[in-house]
Amino acid sequence: MKKELKFKVNGEDYDLWVEPKTLLVQVLRDELGLKGTKWACDSGACCACTVMVDGRAVKSCSILALQVNGKEVMTVEGLANGPELHPLQQAFIDNWAFQCGFCTSGQLMAAKALLDENPDPTIDEIKIAMDGHLCRCTGYNMISEAIQDAAKRLQAQKQQEGGK
Amino acid sequence: MKIDGTFNLKGSPQKIWDTLLQPGTLASCVPGAEKIEATDDKTYDCLVKQSVGPISVKLKFTVKITEMDPPKYVKAVGNGEALGKLGTFSMVLGVTLNEEPGGNVKVDYTTDVNIVGKLATFGERIMHAKAESVSRTFGSNLQKTLQSLNA
Amino acid sequence: MKTILNDFEHFAPKTVEEALDLLSRYGEEECKIVAGGQSLLILMKQRLVTPKYLIDIKGISALDYITFDEQQGLKIGALTTHRAIEKSPVIEKYYPVLAEMEQNVSSVETRNWGTIGGNISHGDPSGDPAPVFIALNGRLRIAGLNGERTVEAEDFTLGYFETVLGHDELLTEIQVPALPPHTGVKYTKFSQLQGDYATASVAVSITLEAKKKTCSDVRIALGAVAPAPMRAKKAEEILRGEKISDDLLARAGQAASEEASPTTDAEVSEEYKRELVKVLVKRVAKEAFERAKKA
Repeated sequence: MKKELKFKVNGEDYDLWVEPKTLLVQVLRDELGLKGTKWACDSGACCACTVMVDGRAVKSCSILALQVNGKEVMTVEGLANGPELHPLQQAFIDNWAFQCGFCTSGQLMAAKALLDENPDPTIDEIKIAMDGHLCRCTGYNMISEAIQDAAKRLQAQKQQEGGK
Repeated sequence: MKIDGTFNLKGSPQKIWDTLLQPGTLASCVPGAEKIEATDDKTYDCLVKQSVGPISVKLKFTVKITEMDPPKYVKAVGNGEALGKLGTFSMVLGVTLNEEPGGNVKVDYTTDVNIVGKLATFGERIMHAKAESVSRTFGSNLQKTLQSLNA
Repeated sequence: MKTILNDFEHFAPKTVEEALDLLSRYGEEECKIVAGGQSLLILMKQRLVTPKYLIDIKGISALDYITFDEQQGLKIGALTTHRAIEKSPVIEKYYPVLAEMEQNVSSVETRNWGTIGGNISHGDPSGDPAPVFIALNGRLRIAGLNGERTVEAEDFTLGYFETVLGHDELLTEIQVPALPPHTGVKYTKFSQLQGDYATASVAVSITLEAKKKTCSDVRIALGAVAPAPMRAKKAEEILRGEKISDDLLARAGQAASEEASPTTDAEVSEEYKRELVKVLVKRVAKEAFERAKKA
């Protein structure tokens, strides 16, 4: 029996009816067409499916969709501002922080949650925040560097905005 | 994965041997056995349910006796699947009956199990301990059966 | 092709009473309680667990709290997330070992959604929280339709994924007494990967008498090396009432290694795990002792 799921995704309100067995990742990809969220290991081991729920990074393959009822979800599609990439996305590009790119959307969402909470993380803090994320191309160092770079860019952006 | 163990029984090796290889005995003594049928004198069709906490698995398999030295040693191979597409497995089982003083028989068993599929990713962590409790229960069930036969 | 869960009927009670009422109706059938689901959903995807009824308690907000006072000690609601414990200022101040322990629980993503009560109720012998709560002399509060009971943390798990919880019961709270003066606690886990299941884990709490020379009380808890988290009581006996020395700590490690009943798994052998217990108990107890001297 389907149940009602009302939630926000990337700022948009949705009111859907879903089977209770539906996982959050299935709603995002199959119902809403947001294929940026990747579904990989299916066993909670890789974090490729990471999205933010109420500002916190979580694994969308390990959450029942009905559990985000009334909550606010952000996926990788919600990062960019129109054609303008989010500083994290730009930093990932500039620092060569991905090769095949499959794990990137999950990495970006975990990094976003980290920087929202801790705008100036040390490398060790980045490692702890990101340690669930598997990258088979093993670009781990570049990913950490990109996150630190993004932190600098975001702080500079903030100062500029504050200075205006 | 190798699982070895021992349990002790009272009775003569011959009596234990005869009882042990009866499908009826096996079905009543193997914990969780839903069906054990002999399809010929060396082959058994088995359906056994095992559970650990909330996890339960139904195993459907065939056991074929490949070597026998009555009433001391039997070797068998098993092949089957865990129902629900959880995986397949094969095993080699060896059972040795050692007569000991005082009318005791020490039963040593060795198993070598290979699992393929989902069951393997999760199963090994708990299968050893489960095997131990299953064999202990099997031993005590078998002992009860022997006693009731003697009575 | 990804696994799709089996069909089930989903209930989302908003209060403990509603949850208990549902449990009294469905508890004895193929029914599971899900909180954060970080362990259960994996088993459900593998079809190792296929409930007909799922009672989803994640929305019972009354069970999400952390409180502390000197008399009552620490109380953690069962639906508090791992992350909330890791980041709690109260925990940081009075029970830093719990924050350290939480950093070992899987990844930030899991800790953000998974709950402490869900973890403990899952009854996995290699879970991180249970040994620490055992070392801290914790108690678990359980609600049922016929009233409440509390059990010692060390008595809660019976074996692999089996606990003392009845079909109609729910773990609601974890209680930890205020630590006696001069008490130090330490937890260490050994695993193949950061955040992975423990190969072996050890939690030790040591209390020193006023002069900080003699060990007046000690609790040693082991994870992942028996069907349930366990206390190494023989190892404790070696330390209790004695002046702690490296030699004594080594003997306690040896005793704990003999008390444990680990099994060989896909990664390491029984002997390897016993060796781990021996070394970890010595090391972790030493650190707990150092902390007790400063406390």
